[in-house]
Amino acid sequence: MWQQIKQALAQSTARFLTRFADLLPGTAALILAVLISIVAGFILAAIVRRLLSSMKFDQRWSRWGFPSFSDWSPSSSPTLMVSRAIALLVIVAGFLIGLAAFDAEWTSLLARSVFAYIPNLVGAALVLLFGTIVARFIARGVLIGAVNLNLHYARLLSIGVKWLVIVLSVAMALEHLRIAPGIVELAFGILFGGIVFALALAVGLGSKDLVTKSLERDAHKVASEKIEEPFRHV
Amino acid sequence: MEVEPIPQQAEEKIAQIESADLVIGVVADLDLKSLVAVCDSLHALSDSPRIALLRDDHSVDPAAARADAANSPAAGNAASPYIVPWPLSQPDAAGTPMLSIPAAYQSVFAACEKLGARACCLIASKLESASAEWIGQLAVPLLEEDADLVVPYYARHKFEGLLNSSIIAPLTRCLYGKRIHNPLGPDFGISRRLFEKMGGAERSANRTHPLASLTPTALCENLQVCEVYVGARMYPPTDWTNISSIVAQVLSPIFSEMERNAACWQRMRASSSVPAIGDPIFVSQDAGTVDISRMVESFHLGNSDLQEIWGLVLPPSSLVELRKLARLPPEQFHMPDDLWVRIVYDFALAHRLRTINRDHLLKSMTPLYLGWVASYARDLETGGGLALEQRLERLSAAYESGKAYLVSRWRWPDRFNP
Repeated sequence: MWQQIKQALAQSTARFLTRFADLLPGTAALILAVLISIVAGFILAAIVRRLLSSMKFDQRWSRWGFPSFSDWSPSSSPTLMVSRAIALLVIVAGFLIGLAAFDAEWTSLLARSVFAYIPNLVGAALVLLFGTIVARFIARGVLIGAVNLNLHYARLLSIGVKWLVIVLSVAMALEHLRIAPGIVELAFGILFGGIVFALALAVGLGSKDLVTKSLERDAHKVASEKIEEPFRHV
Repeated sequence: MEVEPIPQQAEEKIAQIESADLVIGVVADLDLKSLVAVCDSLHALSDSPRIALLRDDHSVDPAAARADAANSPAAGNAASPYIVPWPLSQPDAAGTPMLSIPAAYQSVFAACEKLGARACCLIASKLESASAEWIGQLAVPLLEEDADLVVPYYARHKFEGLLNSSIIAPLTRCLYGKRIHNPLGPDFGISRRLFEKMGGAERSANRTHPLASLTPTALCENLQVCEVYVGARMYPPTDWTNISSIVAQVLSPIFSEMERNAACWQRMRASSSVPAIGDPIFVSQDAGTVDISRMVESFHLGNSDLQEIWGLVLPPSSLVELRKLARLPPEQFHMPDDLWVRIVYDFALAHRLRTINRDHLLKSMTPLYLGWVASYARDLETGGGLALEQRLERLSAAYESGKAYLVSRWRWPDRFNP
């Protein structure tokens, strides 16, 4: 009996030590991979930072119409934000490579599924970026057009249009990430409809006077036709 | 210049004509009899030039044109002009002339090249006077005096041609050093030499606007330019819903030319007059109050909503001045000329640097332009012809004295930002 207990204990100790010894190379590989990725990440970030600085990326960024977006970035510098994001990406990739070195089934599966998800992440980021650019472009066009038409709710109209496009692009990005598609669909419908309804109400109420004036002008068209503007521009 | 293909209907007629000394393209709605009379008077010049008259199919009723042609003295008269039906322009909405007139110029240049003409004219305006003699006056300096560009000097009403008075004419004078009152025509007389220079310029720079590049090319190439006094032009009525598009369409080619000729205009210093032919024609200036409230309101709205965009284009000092201006009561509203001039220069620079989308940029300038027009209208409310001339001279002087600012901003846009 005592012999059997001793034997079982020895076997379990040997198994534990064997397993532990098996983990050691993987752990060392993980540490090494993370260290290398940290170094590579910082080198890459420095190169990108220098490249973007030489391109005057910060100034261009605000010129492209993202001045508020740069407030989110560290030290209000989009260059720093982009370079740090790249460093982080490299470090995460190094960590995943290190995990895969354990040769355990679950770690390789985890790494594989995370890598398989990266295209979705990139796609969603691109959709979001493109959506933001389009939203700002359209909003600026609407703002200028509305101001030139002497509409007093020009800013409101422009903000409404911008958020319509941004909500649409966020919904598309979330759909791309496959995050709670049902809820996203529902939330998008509610938000989009809400914005359109709010805009319709605001513009409708805001242009009440305009419509009244327009109807009055039609009613007194004959009288108004006699008053001709003396200004000719072209 | 890449010339337009010859329209099929004109091909046969061109083959019959073979060659001509002068090609006159007519886009404006003018009757054939008076055009033929003008051509006959030109034919009486010393070397009896052969004239080809291109008529725009869109500007006249085809049936009326046929009847006109049949009844005209030109029919069966070898000395009279060759009349060629030619689609010079696409039918276009009133108030957007810059879209169709360049196409008309391309057509006239194509005919000019095909016929080996010494000169060409394009007539796009209708003047207040019924007589069409002024068309001949545009052509004579080309044939008799070796001029390369003949520019009309229209008699002007104080509130007409405002884009020209406020930006185009004083900017051209300041940049290229010649006092030309209507650098954008649209009626011009052009020599073959200038046409060929334009062709060279076109090949090197790809895209140019024929109407906007005629005067700068002639001045930068040191060609002979003269003005001819003509009557007052008839302008289309203002479409207030479309004014920002017109501003963008007119200014975009002007600013592009400015970019293309930067090396030339940076060398120019003071300005001088060009020879003027004929006698000045004066028109009566109606004195009376004008309603500028709409334009002032537009400026205020722009000032409150477009600050974000103007902030990308204008330096802080101009923004501060605009804010001060917006705080003035409407009856004291007045935009100083030197501020307006700096605004124009800064927008030209932003157009060159593509600070934002060019169409957005130029359209966002409209409230500022209307602000200046409101100030100008207030200045001239009760003034006559002399007051108009003095007012425009003051504006041109402001453009010239601000040129150092433009050159500094143009050369060092990042470093020189007052």
